[in-house]
Amino acid sequence: MVAQTETESAKHYAPVRARRPTDFDLTLPALGLLALFFVLPVAMLLTRSVTEPVPGLGNYAELMGSSTYLRVFANTFMVSGLVTFVSLLIGFPVAWALAIMPSRLASVVFAILLLSMWTNLLARTYAWMVLLQRTGVINKMLIGVGLVDKPLPLVNNLTGVTIGMTYIMLPFIILPLYGVIRKIDPAILQAAALCGANRWQSLVLVLLPLAMPGMAAGALMVFVMSLGYFVTPALLGGTANMMLAELIAQFVQSLVNWGMGGAAALVLLVVTLALYAVQLRFFGTDRLGGS
Amino acid sequence: MSKPFLQIRGIRKEYGPVTAVHDVNLDVAQGEFLTFLGPSGSGKSTTLYILAGFENPTRGEILLNGETLLATPSHKRNIGMVFQRYTLFPHLSVGENIAFPLKVRRRPKAEIDARVRAMLKLVRLEGFEDRKPAQMSGGQQQRVALARALAYDPPVLLMDEPLSALDKKLREEIQHEIRRIHQQTEVTILYVTHDQEEALRLSDRIAVFSKGAIDQIGTGPELYANPATRFVAEFIGDSDFLPCNVVSAANGRAEIAICDSMTVSHVPLHGAASSGAKAALMLRPERLLLSRTQSEAGLPVTVSDITFLGNNVHVTTKTSKGNDLSVRLPFGHEAISGLNRGDAVWLRFDAAAAHVFGQ
Repeated sequence: MVAQTETESAKHYAPVRARRPTDFDLTLPALGLLALFFVLPVAMLLTRSVTEPVPGLGNYAELMGSSTYLRVFANTFMVSGLVTFVSLLIGFPVAWALAIMPSRLASVVFAILLLSMWTNLLARTYAWMVLLQRTGVINKMLIGVGLVDKPLPLVNNLTGVTIGMTYIMLPFIILPLYGVIRKIDPAILQAAALCGANRWQSLVLVLLPLAMPGMAAGALMVFVMSLGYFVTPALLGGTANMMLAELIAQFVQSLVNWGMGGAAALVLLVVTLALYAVQLRFFGTDRLGGS
Repeated sequence: MSKPFLQIRGIRKEYGPVTAVHDVNLDVAQGEFLTFLGPSGSGKSTTLYILAGFENPTRGEILLNGETLLATPSHKRNIGMVFQRYTLFPHLSVGENIAFPLKVRRRPKAEIDARVRAMLKLVRLEGFEDRKPAQMSGGQQQRVALARALAYDPPVLLMDEPLSALDKKLREEIQHEIRRIHQQTEVTILYVTHDQEEALRLSDRIAVFSKGAIDQIGTGPELYANPATRFVAEFIGDSDFLPCNVVSAANGRAEIAICDSMTVSHVPLHGAASSGAKAALMLRPERLLLSRTQSEAGLPVTVSDITFLGNNVHVTTKTSKGNDLSVRLPFGHEAISGLNRGDAVWLRFDAAAAHVFGQ
């Protein structure tokens, strides 16, 4: 009887040494696919930045030496920063409202948020073009109620880009922020109130510091995504404030200058990776997806 | 109580069709330790939250030093509170947490530093000011919360089951701390708990809450010796109830018949009961005398269980009508040596220590 039990338990332990489905080699086909269709083309583009038209760092010198290109870099950072700031400004109250509203209502708001995220980017951007143009609904309404005399220039400029991109980026701020705010115990805010803190002091001294991890994670994500944004700035922006992705597209498509295009792409890639490293360093991978 | 310090006048709270608090009236003296005792849902926490300003009463008035409190928002009430859950600000150190109420009051830095040190000394956590709340035990966190709530010298300190998350041993330790701090600071404390032992240990007076209303207010011994309602009798101390018939009632005393075999006169009567009415007789296990020999004055019962509880022995008996009646005797008492289940014994009690509750 005892012997039999032992062999049975031995049988139970035997499969532990078998191969697990998590073994690295099972990911090889996927990695191969990535290498062939993603890493290789990028590597080739980047290689061309140091080989065309002549081998060397000439492309980078031109990129960094020209005030025109530097202005594009500065503009890219400015627009990304502005979009991040406005997204935080709008996203924080929305995330807070989502966290405290009845869950039924919250799920409706979430559905709206997610539906907007799943709608085609191009369609959403064109929709903004229609809304923001000189004869668009917004300008007509403003003139109709007598707030302005002539149409405001809302599109093909910084305003248009900021509105369009903020709209697209909002969910990426709201979701991680919602996750963090949800975890704050309402009793902590009650305690702050009884300690004598008015609403403003509770917000600045308690709520904002506690929501900071979510705000930082969301802000970094939005900033990094904005840096490489192409469609919205191309459609809603003007020529005066070109962004880096537009410049790369122009190098490659209009000027057929693969060398300069590759160089600009590498600069964008390095900046993005650096910021991503900062994000990983401070918030870890688990915070990237929100809650 | 010559001049009431805190007056709660006819406070009522309705949530739609549900009335959570029924017209609560209460006077609290300055420096008093008053406990709201009751089961969950009895309205004790709601009353406390109305005092804190987190809830508005449907009607009623609260006066502090003769002035209404209800018109003042929470953050201007200057009331201290320790919550059931840990509510220290997790991003601030212990010192910064205690300084928080003083900082929002824009007190000078030197005063804040001195006050933080004094408060840490009061709760015996000197040297902990740079710790973060997450690095401290639950008991330590609640002591810091107490220090934070007392830092600005509030006239009233509210405590909403502050020890319910702690284990028994730690709870008793902090109960002692709270008692000492109350004596040291002489702050008026309103304390909410569902634990009668905690209420008895800490309070000057206890208000027993049941179904949104106060059943009785009094000191622990008063409530124990003279419960006004059956609920209070059940909630404070151990008790058993026997159905009985009222033979006659006059001047707050009743003559009753139990189990068809015995009549007792001069039992304190609570509530209305006319002759012939059914009522409930309350008996405390430690007030019953157990006798092995038959006697005229004894109620015949059968031993159904004997439990050894260290210094006490708990004997469960059954009356001829099948009601359980517990007797508690000190360990080694001669009446229980060699006692077995199924033995017939006789119980006697002093009529003055029993209570009849009309139905």
